[in-house]
Amino acid sequence: MTGSLGLIAAAIAVGLAAVGAGIGNGLIVGRTVEGIARQPEARGMLQTTMFIGIALVEALPIIAVVIAFMVIGQ
Amino acid sequence: MFDLDEMFYRELKYIIYLVAFYVLGWGFTPYKSVFLGLIFGTCLSLFLLWTMVSKNRKLTKAAMEGKKMKSVGTLSRMATAALAVTVALQFPDALHLVSVVIGLMTIYFVIIIDFFIQHLRQK
Repeated sequence: MTGSLGLIAAAIAVGLAAVGAGIGNGLIVGRTVEGIARQPEARGMLQTTMFIGIALVEALPIIAVVIAFMVIGQ
Repeated sequence: MFDLDEMFYRELKYIIYLVAFYVLGWGFTPYKSVFLGLIFGTCLSLFLLWTMVSKNRKLTKAAMEGKKMKSVGTLSRMATAALAVTVALQFPDALHLVSVVIGLMTIYFVIIIDFFIQHLRQK
């Protein structure tokens, strides 16, 4: 089991990852909703772009969560 | 190209091909734990893809109708990653940890590569 420092490290990793993902997703989704409100006919393209953006943004926080749980588990 | 459903089914197809390849590896090679980890991670990454697409559809529908939506499912996807690692750490003999992580990340690579392929094809 890890000590308390390991737990703090895991918590910081997950917390910062969540902050990053939250800011990134917020920006992407906000702009997409704005775009849909302005041009409803471009919905399909905006939807796909948002999907790819969310995928790109979320890849790194998920790796951070994985690393944090690996630190806790070892 | 820019149709979410089309993209979803195309990526689903790629992932199923990949899982079929991993099953062959699990059946015919001595690296059982590696391929089992890849299969487990890839199956969970399919879940990630499905939640991303379904939340995306719901969000667009809500934006069109002027309704509100509380989340895009980031927390559930992070929890899925945590679950995968916890299971891999619980059964280190059956599941290779690094393979599980690679399998979990597969969908993101597939999405990015598929996007670039489609982008180049459109040019």
